Amino acid sequence: MIVVEDLWKTFKLTRQQRKEKGNHSQDGKVDAVAGISFTCQPGRIFSLIGPNGAGKTTTLRMIATLLKPSKGSVTVSGFDTVKQPLEVKKKLGFLTGTTKLYDRLTAEELVKYYADLQGMDKSSFEKRKDELFTLLDMNDFAKWRIAKLSSGMRQKVSIVRTIIHDPEVVVFDEPTVGLDVITAKNIIELIRNCKNDGKTVIFSTHIMGEVSLLSDDMALIHKGKLIYNGTYKDFQSGMRGESLEEEFIKLIQEVRS
Amino acid sequence: MRNSLVVFLKELKDTLRDRRTIIFMVAIPLLVFPVLISIASGMIISQAKKAQAKTLEIGLIRHGNAAEFSMELLKNANVEIREDIEEEQAKALIRQDELDALIIFEKDFDRKVEDFSQGRIRLLMKMTEDSEIEKSRVLKLLTQFEDTLRMKRFQKMDLDESIIKTIKISEQNLATAKEQLAEAVGGFLPYMFIIFCFMGAMYPAIDLAAGEKERGTLETLLTSPVDRFQILLGKLGVVMLAGMISALVAMLGLYLGIRRMTDLPPELLKTVMSILEVNTILILLSLLVPLTIFFAALLLSLSIFARSYKEAQSILSPLMFVVIIPAFMGLLPGMNLTMGTAVIPILNVSLATKAIIAETITVPQLAAVYLSLITLAVVSIYVCSKIYGRESAIFR
Repeated sequence: MIVVEDLWKTFKLTRQQRKEKGNHSQDGKVDAVAGISFTCQPGRIFSLIGPNGAGKTTTLRMIATLLKPSKGSVTVSGFDTVKQPLEVKKKLGFLTGTTKLYDRLTAEELVKYYADLQGMDKSSFEKRKDELFTLLDMNDFAKWRIAKLSSGMRQKVSIVRTIIHDPEVVVFDEPTVGLDVITAKNIIELIRNCKNDGKTVIFSTHIMGEVSLLSDDMALIHKGKLIYNGTYKDFQSGMRGESLEEEFIKLIQEVRS
Repeated sequence: MRNSLVVFLKELKDTLRDRRTIIFMVAIPLLVFPVLISIASGMIISQAKKAQAKTLEIGLIRHGNAAEFSMELLKNANVEIREDIEEEQAKALIRQDELDALIIFEKDFDRKVEDFSQGRIRLLMKMTEDSEIEKSRVLKLLTQFEDTLRMKRFQKMDLDESIIKTIKISEQNLATAKEQLAEAVGGFLPYMFIIFCFMGAMYPAIDLAAGEKERGTLETLLTSPVDRFQILLGKLGVVMLAGMISALVAMLGLYLGIRRMTDLPPELLKTVMSILEVNTILILLSLLVPLTIFFAALLLSLSIFARSYKEAQSILSPLMFVVIIPAFMGLLPGMNLTMGTAVIPILNVSLATKAIIAETITVPQLAAVYLSLITLAVVSIYVCSKIYGRESAIFR
């Protein structure tokens, strides 16, 4: 389970960033996330949606312990991300759409590296690796270097890397961005499988089709603030527009005005 | 420590499979010395041999004087003289490299010498570095002629030559061969090690920090249940090892280069080889260890600030000058290891190496060098770990 409570993240802008963003505030600070709260339950998929720069990635990075909250708290499987980051990381799998892999390692070496960092022993690693490599049809290219793999094969390696230690919580940051249809389908399947395995899943996306396809719960975020937080069903039933996209745009425009 | 070892082994494997790093870490340091030595020594030796073996063509305008000198030159098999020549014609021939020198005796040369005054001789030739050997050969001929004239003058006066030489200095060089060698090349040696050590560490440092950031793999690495300091230690170990290997390979290249030098006098070769004894190499390595830690921490700290591989290259490349300047200062004449210079990083390695080769280093000096380098290494690791803990550096 992930519990986010009154979460804030304030960044200090550089002079160049202030110029680019037109930020004229005296202290030169910006609230990337401004007091959001939500809960992600095990066995359910939580989607975090919002336009570019809304604060989705910052929120997910705070959940994954990569960034420290300026205020508020995040607990993952009962562990505080600031006080017990190593415990949180043991429970967590993290995948982003933009993450690449180590080109000079083989698929197997790469997965082994992450398993070693997770502290897995040899026998449980071998067992889990065989299971996942067979499930995703990866045995043929297990000994190939990453540089020689197609984008679909690489994505499969990324998936195995993320879940090799069988994490309780999986965080996906725009996992299908830039992927072809078939590879994106693999990711969608992975997210569903994680849910079916009883894991807590949170993912951020721009693609409304994925939201309708996967979400049990959702949060709409804009300029670091939560606009909607509830079940996807409730959101759908309260829709005034014809499609999810239209409703999404309407909500953003209402906040802007 | 287990996690640091996991990171270290993975990064080592990754680095050893990177062609670019291998070129900078092994190929260049290994080849540069043998290639440089064989090209330079080959050129110098062949030029010298050519100049020594060459028949000197000398134009001689005597105005009827110095017949004896002319006779002496005729006896010399390596000299050809031309007496049927005008001054302007000879000058033109020298400029066209068809004549090596022109010697002109003044009209009343013989009379002046007879009268116990100075007879004047003009020597015209191309006085460039390339014709140094030819010049020394011509001067030697003239000096021999002068000696003959002086002896004759003394005989005429019934005097012994020692009358004008009030003292006779007999020099005895007490500097050991190693000391002389340390003076000549001792500064150059660490200069090259330091540069190769830095260069060898630079590319892995860029790949392991900025490269990882650019690929986005740093994010996934940092979500592993491993302390950032442990990750840093693993990376630091590989960058350090790369720098050390590079410096060692450069040493090996130097050794091979010297072994290939067939024209080196055996005594000098023996002295050079004695520098490459196990003890000397171990002391040099013990100096390189803390220096490489400093380089590794410095390079990783700066590399993590960069957003991409290219940006890291542009940040780190100018740093080479910061390393070269103190390393180069060790080459300057009169620059020696003192308690003051022993605490200046990089310069101290350069000067200490010189002193180790010359076997003149003292224990307090060596201790000061170690203390300075170890302090620097510890401080640089601390600063680097602070930078790796900063969100603004990691997610810049």
